[in-house]
Amino acid sequence: MNEVCFKNLTKDQCWSLKVYEDSGGYSAWRKILKGELTPEQIIDELKLSGLRGRGGAGFPTGLKWSFMPRHSNGQKYVVCNSDEGEPGTCKDRDILRFNPHAVIEGMAIGGFVMNASVGYNYIRGEFMEPFKRFEGALEEAYKVGLLGQNINNSSINFDLYTHLGAGAYICGEETALLESIEGKKGQPRFKPPFPANVGLFGKPTTINNTESFASVPEILRCGGQWFADIGVENSGGCKLFSVSGHVTNPANFEVPMGISFKDLLDMAGGMRDGTKLKAVIPGGSSTPVLTAETVMNMTMDYDGIEKAGSMLGAGSVIIMNESTCMVEVLTRLAHFYYDESCGQCTPCREGTGWLYRVLKRIIDGNGRQGDVDLLLSIQNKIMGNTICALGDAAATPVESFLRNFRKEFEYYIKYRKSMVKG
Amino acid sequence: MISIKARNQIDVWIAKYPKDRQSSAVMQALKIVQAENENILSASTIQEVADYLDMSGIAVQEVATFYENYNYKKVGKYVIRFCHNISCMLNGADDLIKHIENKLGVKTGEVTLDGLISVKKVECLGACVGAPMFQINEEYFENLTVDKIDKIVDNLK
Amino acid sequence: MIDININGNIVSAKAGEMLIVVADRENISVPRFCYHKKLSVVSSCRICLVDVEGAIKPQPACSTPVVHGMKVQTQNVKTKNSQKSVMEFLLINHPLDCPICDQGGECELQDVAVKYGSDISSFSEGKRVVTDSDIGVLIQTDMTRCIHCTRCVRFGVEIAGIMEMGGTGRGENLKIEPFLEQGIQSELSGNMIDICPVGALTSKPFKYELRSWQMNSIPSIARHDLVGSNLLVQPYKGKVKRVVSADNDLVNEIWISDRDRFSYESLTHKNRLLKPQIKVQGRWNQVSWEVALDYAVKGLNSHILNHQKADQLGGLVSNTATMEEFYLFKKILTEVGCDNIDYRLNVKNLDNTIILDSNIKLDALEKIDYALIIGTNIRLEQPMINHRLRKATKKGADVDVLNVMVFDFNYSLHTENIIAPNKIAFILAGVLKSIMINNGQELPDYLIAINVDEMAKNIAYKVLNSDSSVIILGEHIINNVDASTIANLVTKIAQSTNSRTLNLSITANAIAANLVGCVPQNSGMNVNTMLASDMRGFILLDIYPQYNFHHLGAAIKAFEKDDTFVISLNSFKDDIVVGYSDVILPIASIYETSGTHLNINNDMQSYIAAVKAPNEVKPAWKVLKVMADLLELPGFNYEDSTQVLTEISYQSHVSHTHDINGNLASYHNGISVIWQNSPYSIDAVLRHSRTLQKTKIGQMNNAYMNQTSAKALKVSVGDKYLGVFVVITDAVADNCVFINTNQTINIQGQA
Ligand SMILES: Cc1cc2nc3c(=O)[nH]c(=O)nc-3n(C[C@H](O)[C@H](O)[C@H](O)COP(=O)(O)O)c2cc1C
Ligand code: SF4
Ligand code: FES
Repeated sequence: MNEVCFKNLTKDQCWSLKVYEDSGGYSAWRKILKGELTPEQIIDELKLSGLRGRGGAGFPTGLKWSFMPRHSNGQKYVVCNSDEGEPGTCKDRDILRFNPHAVIEGMAIGGFVMNASVGYNYIRGEFMEPFKRFEGALEEAYKVGLLGQNINNSSINFDLYTHLGAGAYICGEETALLESIEGKKGQPRFKPPFPANVGLFGKPTTINNTESFASVPEILRCGGQWFADIGVENSGGCKLFSVSGHVTNPANFEVPMGISFKDLLDMAGGMRDGTKLKAVIPGGSSTPVLTAETVMNMTMDYDGIEKAGSMLGAGSVIIMNESTCMVEVLTRLAHFYYDESCGQCTPCREGTGWLYRVLKRIIDGNGRQGDVDLLLSIQNKIMGNTICALGDAAATPVESFLRNFRKEFEYYIKYRKSMVKG
Repeated sequence: MISIKARNQIDVWIAKYPKDRQSSAVMQALKIVQAENENILSASTIQEVADYLDMSGIAVQEVATFYENYNYKKVGKYVIRFCHNISCMLNGADDLIKHIENKLGVKTGEVTLDGLISVKKVECLGACVGAPMFQINEEYFENLTVDKIDKIVDNLK
Repeated sequence: MIDININGNIVSAKAGEMLIVVADRENISVPRFCYHKKLSVVSSCRICLVDVEGAIKPQPACSTPVVHGMKVQTQNVKTKNSQKSVMEFLLINHPLDCPICDQGGECELQDVAVKYGSDISSFSEGKRVVTDSDIGVLIQTDMTRCIHCTRCVRFGVEIAGIMEMGGTGRGENLKIEPFLEQGIQSELSGNMIDICPVGALTSKPFKYELRSWQMNSIPSIARHDLVGSNLLVQPYKGKVKRVVSADNDLVNEIWISDRDRFSYESLTHKNRLLKPQIKVQGRWNQVSWEVALDYAVKGLNSHILNHQKADQLGGLVSNTATMEEFYLFKKILTEVGCDNIDYRLNVKNLDNTIILDSNIKLDALEKIDYALIIGTNIRLEQPMINHRLRKATKKGADVDVLNVMVFDFNYSLHTENIIAPNKIAFILAGVLKSIMINNGQELPDYLIAINVDEMAKNIAYKVLNSDSSVIILGEHIINNVDASTIANLVTKIAQSTNSRTLNLSITANAIAANLVGCVPQNSGMNVNTMLASDMRGFILLDIYPQYNFHHLGAAIKAFEKDDTFVISLNSFKDDIVVGYSDVILPIASIYETSGTHLNINNDMQSYIAAVKAPNEVKPAWKVLKVMADLLELPGFNYEDSTQVLTEISYQSHVSHTHDINGNLASYHNGISVIWQNSPYSIDAVLRHSRTLQKTKIGQMNNAYMNQTSAKALKVSVGDKYLGVFVVITDAVADNCVFINTNQTINIQGQA
């Protein structure tokens, strides 16, 4: 437990440069500066490590880095996605607060591999404490000459800046994030072209999640194989899981991929007050909800969760006990997507509001016969028809809640009150 | 007029971006200017930011209305932003919001009569393992209970 | 080229082009709202989703590049379902008020709804309420109908060059609006009406008048400038109700300027002249055409022709006439033995005129890599030409400007040089000298003493080092003391650098006037000579002296002279015209007459009348023909204007150059006044266009000068100079007053 991003979590001043360097931090970067590591070697290690993007989609990081046209002329960028806003997710905040140098080193390494001399870390606007920590760490790194121009006479340049958001979940979507850095509304761009070809300011850009970047230095220090061995097939290494909801000790846990759900639940102190587990959203609000029965034998890795019928997403495990009214929960989630839709594309702009309104009228005791099917049909009209994945993210909970807990919805419509709460 | 101090702060952000990309600093410029104007953005401040960054007024207006952190209506000196998303909700956020509304005598979205505090329901603030939680101005407060809230709010001056 | 399969048919395409482009070329219908061929692709409306084999999700045709072997279904169930879904979403918040919507019948949403929409929507929530903003006098908004395609926003950013509309808020609250109440001010703004696929943006002057299917659409040509934009004129019951653009990639693409779109309003102005009238013993009488024409012909005979004094007759014509009218006008004069003809009414000194070829086509303008613009506020004076240049700059072209004042450009300039009118020739001489030295050419005498400053050097460097450049000479130069020299220098610079030239010093249909010879030949007098001579009579075609003449005082004096017989053909009533004329004949205005416009591409663009002229008003060409018949002149047996056109012999366009005179030796002293009618006041039709006059551009009425000039002229802010409000600004060069006015020239004041 706590082997990579949270390695120094329990140490005093764990965010400081000293603690970071004492535990081997910046050794990979220094090797690079001395010319002892080539981009190809780094990509090979990353591929070997089995590291997959921690932002939600799980795309293999080594492969992503190899897509950048590193030899093309002109400016290129690396961008770190610290916009963390998916309900249930709160791990990047802790990485920024407790291990900012790992993010800096990871981004610097990325910059070197992809021949990008400038990086931006996009931190969500509300994260002022993490922002200040990260800025402090940047200052330290600049001071000792780990960043800047011609670093240690290596002829390697890397400048790193933070960009602060201002409150919009959609900016976590990578192309919306780029628009936002450019000083525009955070509206996703359609792909192709992909950011690796046309990204920030029109230049080739690689975007990774905070945890993805923060994992890179330790992988290079200890070896890709070491990392891969921590986890299981297809899911290398360890992963931060944010366990929240009806558990005794909600917290972030850095654990090996493939750990059983039961063990993770135990780490969080089990169900609160001895209540009974009812449902789990395993990867953040946009991943399908699972019933208690389906999760009991689930392992916490990409394939394991998929087998159970959901997705690992950002590793945000939301635990619900038997007192939970699923109609209420879904209404709240629907409100979230309705509130956060960027408004650009038709199905999401119009559909999220429609979903929310139908759910709201059910909650208000005005549900109508046929509303469950109506909800299913609306989500079906959104699914797959939008520019970015927010549309699917809004549709997915509706589909899975209704599939697994349809009775509760029908009860609410018929009796105008919650089946659970009465 | 944007104050010299604010201009200097904005310039720090402008310097982070490539030449001729000063519009990248617009989000922070708006925050800085808002902070100087009783936490409200008006049409004229938006126009000033536009002029300072060489953008069109409507382009700045787009940004200013897209992101959630900008205000157009009066807010309190302290803005309590209460998360009511899933993890907080599961942990009783709705009751706590009611509690705070009763305590302050305002509804969410409103400001106390003395102008000190306003309360707002917001979406996930990314501190789900500390639910229920809220943010007051820049600071996060987690694992809230009725007692804890009373103490925090009573200390606001 | 690659092959792709659409609906089972193999079609060939260029790799990487968007699927929708291929489908359009093959006439395969794919619905679209946000996609527009002249705008960037945003792919946000999602109505164009089609089924691409191998892709799980349906793909937007507007943003899916084709690859070899791609298999696409635009009609199958999967495609239909996606499109139906999107349609249903679009309609849930749409008011469905088609019966009262101005877009009804030409609404892209309505069309697609009929084809793809499901019959009943299961949406039963209240519709979104959207408040409207007043965005100005030209465009009516009804934002409840907006489907957020953002075409108007992109139009502003990409075509008009100023972002005026934007999308504020997010999600369901996304609202398309301008910044506060600032409204829309672009000179091209009306195009937003054409590109809005629904009835959210409609023409304000046209509001609630009619349904589109009640009107015809008659192709026509815009006549306010040298472009001759292609239009559709839409009349109902004999009145023009609306004008929209027509496609012509070689001329105006799909855009038209606001002045071309809204000037039709003048046709119903209360000042329209509706009946012939004659002045008998100092009193005006409305009479029949027979009586009026008889009076005119008798007057001509008794004053001039019977005395063999045709050399004391003058023919003056406004540059707004049709080519046929120019021709008949000239032919009548020639037949009666008169060579005194001119259209160049606003030129101060006709011995010092601009003779310059235009030898670049409109569509080629967007491919240039360098432009030197001299003496024009090109954006407002030539909106469509400016649009092409803007496109060129977007592809990387540099533009240098030599102007007397800072104007508002909608692209960034390489350099903007503000110099006094009396120095322009010297800068250009410096440019030429620098080029000739570079080319190793021997310098002519007049260049030896010329000083080559940095500005000249930089410009010379740019012209020399570009592959396809153009030098544009504008209207502000026509009365420059060095006008002809400047034109010659431009020609020489262009010749020694392989540049093209564009002559914007003339406007409207003046190229046609030149072609048919509406300038004096042989011993004929030019306009200024006529005004200074003892004339016995004038025939004036569409002339309003206070706006047309440089030598206004002289003109009025000449026309008012007691025994001078003046026949005026006009479309609008005018007190000054009444004051000096003996016969006033009401003639048809734009869209009421057939004719031909010769544009700067040398395209002969003919049009038919879209509506009949009101009451007894007749097309000028007909009036001229009947007058010729009554004068018993031979060869006027035309039945329609096309017969006139076929007769016009294509005279080859000879370009002549003067020798550069010795004027370059020293600067001319004193303050030059550059007098320009403001962009919406350049002709009688525009001046009578009610709504255009209310716009910001229509209201332009200022005399700009800097502090030094103001001091020298002893005027200050609030004063009037030559009858126009004084504005003191650093934007103007020394020794210069730049006037943009929508008002009558002050008769006494005009120099
Ligand atoms: C609506 C939406 C929100 C997202 N929010 C985040 C986020 O907050 N943080 C993040 O890292 N990725 C987020 N993503 C995923 C990013 O688009 C992107 O895939 C990711 O940053 C790539 O980094 P990785 O490969 O390291 O995971 C979001 C995606 C969508 C569609
Ligand atoms: S799916 Fe939603 S958030 Fe994504 S682009 Fe479309 S409207 Fe914006
Ligand atoms: S036309 Fe393709 S998404 Fe709008």
